[in-house]
Amino acid sequence: MNQILQQLINGFSIGSVYALMAVGYSLVYSIMNFSNFAHGGVIMLGAYFGFFFITLFKMPFWVAFIGAGICSMLVAVLVERMAYKPLRARNAPFLYFMISAMGASMFIENFVIATIGPTFRTYPQIFPAEPFSLGGIYVGRLDMMMFLISAVSLIALVYFIECTKLGKAIQATAFNPRASALMGINTDSVILTVFGLGGFLAGIAGVLFGMKYTVYPQIGFITIKSFIAAVFGGLGSLPGAVIGSFILGIVETMVSGYIMSQYRDLISFSLLILILVFKPMGLMGKSVEDKA
Amino acid sequence: MLEIKNLHAYYGGIHALKGVGISVSEGEIVTIIGANGAGKSTLLNAVSGIVRYREGSIFFKGKPLPRLPHLIVKRGIVQVPEGRLIFANLTVKDNLMLGAYLRSDKEGIKRDLEKVYELFPRLKEREKQMAGTLSGGEQQMLAIGRGLMSNPELILLDEPSLGLAPIMVETIFRVIKDIKNLGKTILLVEQNAYKALSTADSAYMLEQGRVVKSGRAADLINDPGVKESYLGVKVNNRS
Repeated sequence: MNQILQQLINGFSIGSVYALMAVGYSLVYSIMNFSNFAHGGVIMLGAYFGFFFITLFKMPFWVAFIGAGICSMLVAVLVERMAYKPLRARNAPFLYFMISAMGASMFIENFVIATIGPTFRTYPQIFPAEPFSLGGIYVGRLDMMMFLISAVSLIALVYFIECTKLGKAIQATAFNPRASALMGINTDSVILTVFGLGGFLAGIAGVLFGMKYTVYPQIGFITIKSFIAAVFGGLGSLPGAVIGSFILGIVETMVSGYIMSQYRDLISFSLLILILVFKPMGLMGKSVEDKA
Repeated sequence: MLEIKNLHAYYGGIHALKGVGISVSEGEIVTIIGANGAGKSTLLNAVSGIVRYREGSIFFKGKPLPRLPHLIVKRGIVQVPEGRLIFANLTVKDNLMLGAYLRSDKEGIKRDLEKVYELFPRLKEREKQMAGTLSGGEQQMLAIGRGLMSNPELILLDEPSLGLAPIMVETIFRVIKDIKNLGKTILLVEQNAYKALSTADSAYMLEQGRVVKSGRAADLINDPGVKESYLGVKVNNRS
């Protein structure tokens, strides 16, 4: 019993980081209807920003953490401006956006390999290694922090989307960009906001991920997990992306814990295929019907 | 108030507007009638900045109109689009408040919200409902109310009666007159030519991207050509 709870907690912890990645990815999808593959590049850069801020510039952890988020936000905004805005201006088909996204992703990865190098780097120990006990269950301090930081960020994001004017404008633009423009919403700045938000969350997720595992140029591949999570929950739906991420995190830790860790990705991807075949809208895909 | 001169616009590869000129005076209801594909919606979308025009000019209150949609709304022109295009995933109240997106005068927004609720009591009853659950007629009311929330001087209405039950069509046209009485100017695009002409002050008839007739609405309604093409009346005394 304790072991199941233990795995569940690990699953929540890793799922919460998937959620940080998935919401940014899902936000962009909800507005632009294409898969932003460059998201993985931003996650990877976030991990490097955090790493160098701590090791090279000797910044305190929280400064490095927020700093990595802000730098990643700027990268995401830059990618939008350079890789997508010119396409939007020409009303290019969505396939072009996907190709441009892949190009941006490959550029970022290879840029890092060429400048920083392909080696694996390990974050210094930031949170004490010894776990603390919660009624017989041992929780790693880093896992705990990952969960808390992700939860706070996600709650802040939901508050922003649901309760602020700009958040409502994001929802409106996701539903219908043309109608939003007709209401006086500057859709261009809404798109920039969405990339900025997604970039910030990707950056801090990158730091958390780098701390948990290691930092290397291909770490952005992890974005495929946020894709699975987002499809799971229903592409474009934020609550869906969060729920999908937790489910994915729990499934992965259960598979690693009870079957074999080598089967982890095999099972994740099988789930993805099953969902695409049997429930392509996901758990919470756009269900509101427009009668018009 | 609105002066459109020699407007040329392309829709995909189609030359949709071929030198259209239209003038709207303050406080009037001006209607544009014409068949499907005549360029009516393209004209409204060119004014709203959704469709780019290659040639011609649009002046609003003596100054050239900006070309970006949000700047146009800021100048006081709002479009209530064809097909309503309400935000089905948001509540009725959220939809209305998005109409006031560019405004920051809280008092004025509150006043206009009350005005909209007065015009459409149904919307007040359903304030907290998701907009997607409204009936077609209610959605049209919401779309008009949302447009009014920007406190526009000029409202562009694109096919407000499309797909509505006859009794709802009556309601919508009554509301259009009410809106005029609020001091707003209205540019109305309609396929229901009879209703449009009997509500409007002046009218333009578009055919294949060109203005083919214009004048007082009361005169056009009796024009034999208009009668035959749009009102379904066979005119015998022409031959």
